[in-house]
Amino acid sequence: MLIDFQQALADLTASPDLCLQVRRDAAALHGRYRLNERETRRLLAIVNHPGMECACIVYRANRLAPLALNLAETCRVLGAGLRDLVSDYWARHPEGNVHFFVETERFCRYLEGRLEAGATLPAALPAVLAREAAAVRAGLRESFTEAA
Amino acid sequence: MKANRPAVGLLYNPATPAIVAHAPELVEYLAVMPDRLWFDFGHRVAGRRFHRTLGAIEEVRRHLPGRLLAAHGLGLSLPSAMPIDESFVEAVATMSADLGGFRWFSEHLNLFLTPKGSVPNAQAGLGLPVVYDEESYRIVSAKLRRLRQVLGCRILLENGSFFTPVPDQPMSEPQFLNRLHAHGHCGTLLDLHNLYVSWRNGGIDPDDYIEALDPDAVEEVHLAGGDDFAGFYMDSHSGLTPPAVWNLAFRHIGRFRRLKAITFEFQETYFDVIGLPALVSEMERMHELADCCALAREPEYAD
Repeated sequence: MLIDFQQALADLTASPDLCLQVRRDAAALHGRYRLNERETRRLLAIVNHPGMECACIVYRANRLAPLALNLAETCRVLGAGLRDLVSDYWARHPEGNVHFFVETERFCRYLEGRLEAGATLPAALPAVLAREAAAVRAGLRESFTEAA
Repeated sequence: MKANRPAVGLLYNPATPAIVAHAPELVEYLAVMPDRLWFDFGHRVAGRRFHRTLGAIEEVRRHLPGRLLAAHGLGLSLPSAMPIDESFVEAVATMSADLGGFRWFSEHLNLFLTPKGSVPNAQAGLGLPVVYDEESYRIVSAKLRRLRQVLGCRILLENGSFFTPVPDQPMSEPQFLNRLHAHGHCGTLLDLHNLYVSWRNGGIDPDDYIEALDPDAVEEVHLAGGDDFAGFYMDSHSGLTPPAVWNLAFRHIGRFRRLKAITFEFQETYFDVIGLPALVSEMERMHELADCCALAREPEYAD
């Protein structure tokens, strides 16, 4: 089915882990999607194409862009830990939002939730996040430019 | 604006006013991206979904007298196997009416949306490749009909750039675009930099691609620059048009008898890096390119 082929292509682009899984075992596709033989062949060719690595990188760069732009200091404080956090966040929220403040505010809530849950995160994070999240929420309020 | 040759212009961004102020005679045409002139709160928001960036729209309006205006969309993802985003289309129509009417509207022949997610495109051009078969043709052509019905202007589709081509295609991309054109669904926006990007990343030779395309379908040409990253070449709109793309343009532009516009795209965050003098030189060269189309012109297609 075309709809499943397209979804599989988007999911693979969003997940290097899924790409590796499918490269190891093509059956990983059939558990998730309804695909005919031709669609399966196409996806296997795509996932094994050298350009797939670049597509995954660009996907992550594009999803990172609003966060890096609006939460620069938070990202710096998270350092190497940012990678696993955004991977988890994107897995929970596969649908990115084109409105940068909506997307960033959602990530703020995710980080706040992790802090409340007692996750081990850098000591400097709560203060930095509080400051930048406030600015993001102000920006979000200002983006309601017209009456509801 | 010179008669009987394509207009030269820019894909509008916040840096465009500086170029227009410096060299107004070089900018004959503006293409605005509706997606960048509003905040989209999405389908699930209660109340108004699109909140226009009113200051930016007024800035666009100030630069319109004496210039052509078209629109270039990113958010419709026409090849997606899902219904067209009607509220998005209505919002584009409202913006068109507000700005005096888009002469044409272009979209991408790429996949950006799926029912369960999206593939965001910030600036590096990540649209996913399309299966060129009968099912996709039916989906795209039906949406093009709807777009034309609502917007009331000519519709163009832009060739994409891909890192991962779809193998075993029933139709090539030029065949798909030619067929849409032959059946009156749309014209082609030929992005020469996208061809270059795909070729640099292992895709088809740009000359072969253009040879396979119906030259009368081509109504707009895009020029842009990119950069190398991780062994790939990116459509990042981060610089001037590469020499190879200029050569491609001058080699083929005379064949496009219905070309309406030549458009340069750059990302505004690179404005200071590229520099105003270089951008002005780029536009002067675009005018030289447009002059090559002055011969053998054919009338525009009716809306």
